[in-house]
Amino acid sequence: MIAPQVLNEWYPVAMASQIRAGQRRLTQLLGDPITVEVQDCAIVVTGQGGALRVTEAFGHVWACPGTPAHPLFPIPEALETGRRLVDVGVVRVKCSPLRAVENFLDIAHFPFVHTDVLGAEPHTEVNRYEVNIRADSDEVWATKVTFYQPQAAKSAEGGIVTQYMYRVPAPTAAVLYKTCPARPDAWDVIGIFVQPLSEELCDVWPWMALYDDTTPQAELIAFQQMIFLQDRSILENQIPRLLPLDPGMEVPTQADLTSIAYRRWLKKRGLTYGAQMVAA
Amino acid sequence: MTPRWTATGLSQDLPKAVAMAGHWQGQDLAVWRSATGRLQAWNDRCPHRGMRLSHGFVRGETLACIYHGWVYGAEGGCKHIPAHPALTPPATIRVAVFACVEQDGVIWVAPADTLGAPTALRGLQPLRSISLTCDVAAVLLVEPALSGEDTLRGLVQIAGQACEVCLLVQHGASGLTLHALCAVGADRIAASRWLEDLRRRAERKGTA
Ligand code: FES
Ligand SMILES: [Fe+2]
Repeated sequence: MIAPQVLNEWYPVAMASQIRAGQRRLTQLLGDPITVEVQDCAIVVTGQGGALRVTEAFGHVWACPGTPAHPLFPIPEALETGRRLVDVGVVRVKCSPLRAVENFLDIAHFPFVHTDVLGAEPHTEVNRYEVNIRADSDEVWATKVTFYQPQAAKSAEGGIVTQYMYRVPAPTAAVLYKTCPARPDAWDVIGIFVQPLSEELCDVWPWMALYDDTTPQAELIAFQQMIFLQDRSILENQIPRLLPLDPGMEVPTQADLTSIAYRRWLKKRGLTYGAQMVAA
Repeated sequence: MTPRWTATGLSQDLPKAVAMAGHWQGQDLAVWRSATGRLQAWNDRCPHRGMRLSHGFVRGETLACIYHGWVYGAEGGCKHIPAHPALTPPATIRVAVFACVEQDGVIWVAPADTLGAPTALRGLQPLRSISLTCDVAAVLLVEPALSGEDTLRGLVQIAGQACEVCLLVQHGASGLTLHALCAVGADRIAASRWLEDLRRRAERKGTA
């Protein structure tokens, strides 16, 4: 039995442009088979029990298998003029959808997993940053995050100290804001939308809203895909397979504050699909 | 279950400064050799956030986790946390350590408190490790000269000559692995071909 809190959330299920181009996507959501397709000019998601509630946003199709507890979260930057919106595509990962989100919120792994791209030894220190749950939106936010990066973005030349903000607006979605090399006064925005196929399998859809008019699309996509493939080698080899909401046998440090807040937030809201409550 | 030594690989397949995956009766292990050649077997789970330590990297006499680079030294104690370089990690951060010895060219593992040594394999030399998709019963069926449960031994025909062989059985997450040894002085190339042929015959039997 899947908890109603889980069923009443929104989940990404397809890239909208692919479905609009006439593709029919046979896939899975929370363990059940679904179909995403166009019927009479509208995108329709059909499960075993009939049509699911659907919305389209940030280049993707979102579905709610239950009764939506709230509308899909906004990303105001997606509407700003001058930003380039990039759908990166899909990366299938054999891991809990929650582990995929937690990894996206983590900076301490940059020097070891994204070596010489998002981080490099000896610049491994994670300075203290702030984490809170925003009262108005009930979202997890991490702010004042800084990290030294050898090549922070496709448009970056050489090493810089990059500033970050992280945001978890839905159980299987996260958005990061990072210093934009091309425009020091603005943030680049990168999201990951994670489709929970089952508790131990997910499709990850990265998405970007950048100020970058020069880098070819194919290069932007290849760069993000390289990053996510490096993350995948980690995500498929973590024990236990499900995300432990009780730290139990794990040892979090100050650098893990976002992960700690995310796990607590999931637990408090009963969003336990892909999680385990026992310390094991 | 009585703790006992299990073969988890051959010495020749684990060079200095390398980590590999091992198993002790269903328990996943990280087996690694330091830069000076010291061999260790640990629980294959980083205490920080559960990454497999067998994917880690060896630096000198330490093993570092590939995820956030936490460094573990002798006896599994955490020595360094790169995200907090000024911090001395508390002694409580420790990877569970297993007993691990090398004998007759074989790497043996057992729970930390295991007494005594693995059975000696006199007159045998390590050949190679091979994984199979069938079970031990299928191996015994196609090669009746072999007998045993965890250690299959016998006199088999290799290139027209009687040759003593020993297959050490290991059950891991990915199935059955046999660590093979053959008589000192035997033709290793012929013995290796015999082993591959044994696998082919046993797997055909196992799936029939
Ligand atoms: S999981 Fe090993 S260092 Fe973080
Ligand atoms: Fe990463």
